[in-house]
Amino acid sequence: MTSASQISRPRSRKGVDGWRWTGRFFLVFMILYTAIPMVWMLLTSIKSGFAAMQFPPQWWPSEPTLASYQKLLDPQNSVGQDFLRFFWNSLFVSVCTTILAVLVAVPAAYAFSRFRFPGRRFLFFAVLLRNMFPAVIFLVPLFILMRVLGLVNTHGSLILTYLTFGLPLAIWLLKGFYDNIPIQLEQAARIDGATRFQAFLLIVTPLSVPGIIATAIYSFIGAWNEYIYAATFLTKNDQLTLPVGIQRFFSENTTDFPGLMAASFIMSVPVVVLFLVLQKYFVRALTEGAVKH
Amino acid sequence: MTTVAGHAGLSRKHFVVQPSLLQQMWTSRADYLYVLPAIVVMLVVIAYPIYYTIDLSFFKTPPGLQLRDKIFVGVDNYTSILSSEVFWRVTLNTVIWTVASTLIAFVLGFGSALALHRDFAGRAVLRAILIIPWVISAVAASYIWKWMYHSDFGLIGAVLVQLGIVDTQPNFIDNIYSVLPSLIVVNIWREFPFAMIMMMAGLQTVPEQLLRAARVDGASAWQRFWHITLPHMAGVSTVTILLLAVANFNSFIIPWIMTGGGPSNASHIWITHIYELAFGRQRWGVAAAYSVLLFIILMSLGYFYVRALSANEKKEQGA
Repeated sequence: MTSASQISRPRSRKGVDGWRWTGRFFLVFMILYTAIPMVWMLLTSIKSGFAAMQFPPQWWPSEPTLASYQKLLDPQNSVGQDFLRFFWNSLFVSVCTTILAVLVAVPAAYAFSRFRFPGRRFLFFAVLLRNMFPAVIFLVPLFILMRVLGLVNTHGSLILTYLTFGLPLAIWLLKGFYDNIPIQLEQAARIDGATRFQAFLLIVTPLSVPGIIATAIYSFIGAWNEYIYAATFLTKNDQLTLPVGIQRFFSENTTDFPGLMAASFIMSVPVVVLFLVLQKYFVRALTEGAVKH
Repeated sequence: MTTVAGHAGLSRKHFVVQPSLLQQMWTSRADYLYVLPAIVVMLVVIAYPIYYTIDLSFFKTPPGLQLRDKIFVGVDNYTSILSSEVFWRVTLNTVIWTVASTLIAFVLGFGSALALHRDFAGRAVLRAILIIPWVISAVAASYIWKWMYHSDFGLIGAVLVQLGIVDTQPNFIDNIYSVLPSLIVVNIWREFPFAMIMMMAGLQTVPEQLLRAARVDGASAWQRFWHITLPHMAGVSTVTILLLAVANFNSFIIPWIMTGGGPSNASHIWITHIYELAFGRQRWGVAAAYSVLLFIILMSLGYFYVRALSANEKKEQGA
């Protein structure tokens, strides 16, 4: 890209500059659109309840305070106790889902990528089709199923359902990775006497670590942000995950906007940090399946 | 490409004699073990619910969901849906919501990808900022925007008043005319990054030599975009638009948290309506019938989705 732009420099400056300025204005607009709500969330979260409810608003908080954060993260008072428990529940459910999703998706994706068993295409698309259906369709029957299995009001019900909506995406992402690992590596291993399973476990799996990381991030973020199943399957207050917990809590305290914004911020921190740290894998994985290099 | 090589390498024995399907399945029985866990989970949590929903849609089930007391009512649930006025209102909302969200998110995403394609200082930072809305929870996004739209202390209204565009704080989400567009803005905010990522990857596949050759031949920036970049992006664009359309058709959290479908159904879309019918009003049969209709619509969308994906796969194998 850099070399191309150097070559282009002497030619057709005017036309290119016009487009480049359009691009810059567009980017500025998109950045404002994206960032203003997030900045406003942060600014509101460090205001007092009184300062947030003013007109015209305090564009910059005159007396910044961390009171909302202290309230949410203090295990001594009841709000903090609830919030920390929701946080822990979310973490537990998301981590369990992630581990299970990777364990189940890795062999399946490998098989879809490498083996040529009859019905492979059908099964693969059947798995993908799951992504098309909204949670709502499955809610009532799954609710009954969970009642039969005795899983209502347990985190097991969430892990099982999150697994199903995480799996298709995980399999699809991982298949993209396996497709791009040269098969010659396994063939060489087979010639050297490895069994097919050994070749998969010892040769291919280490190479697909970036794909596994990406898949894990997606499963984690999906589970962390899930709302509708958690809202339906869990009724006991001490079981709730963050999205549902926050909703329940703030349907009772409708005017505590600094608290709500602080809670939204804390809820976003784990996933945003995860995304920023592992960005490379994250972006690559999503596009591997859709774009062939 | 590698898959074709793998085909020849791993299962050459299949081509010696043409074996029957059962023989083939038997030879590759070990292959199924790899996909078995995934298939079992899928069957339990997908096939069973689908069967159940269809079954439930022909019955009237009491509010407490006591399945023993359900009464067979034939297609009554379906006729009552199609003859209700709310159904048409909700359907119109869903169409507006899906089409507007999908197209605008796609255009903004594609535009951002093009604007970020050329390398410049700070590009990685800008890209990261633009992707964040897609990562954070939709519940958090709903609350952030609900606060932005607040009818007394919301930022957007306050800015409009300060700039002298309006006299008093407008009420964005308690107004039957502005509620749907306001929610679409939120939805696009969360979704355009997905289109952006996909299109950024797509742009990498446009051959640089071709663009350079066109430039040497005197093609303008627009001509290069229109005749070279765009045709190369057709495959990615189809997949992206389909995925966006399905996601938008299925969205629930943003309208549910922000308005609950109100005021007077102005922001109800199919999914929120089904949820309210089932878990709010406990009309299980009607909700199930709605789900079956939704299912049929999605299956036809899914047909195009699979076709687009297989087209991609064929192209890859042909290459």
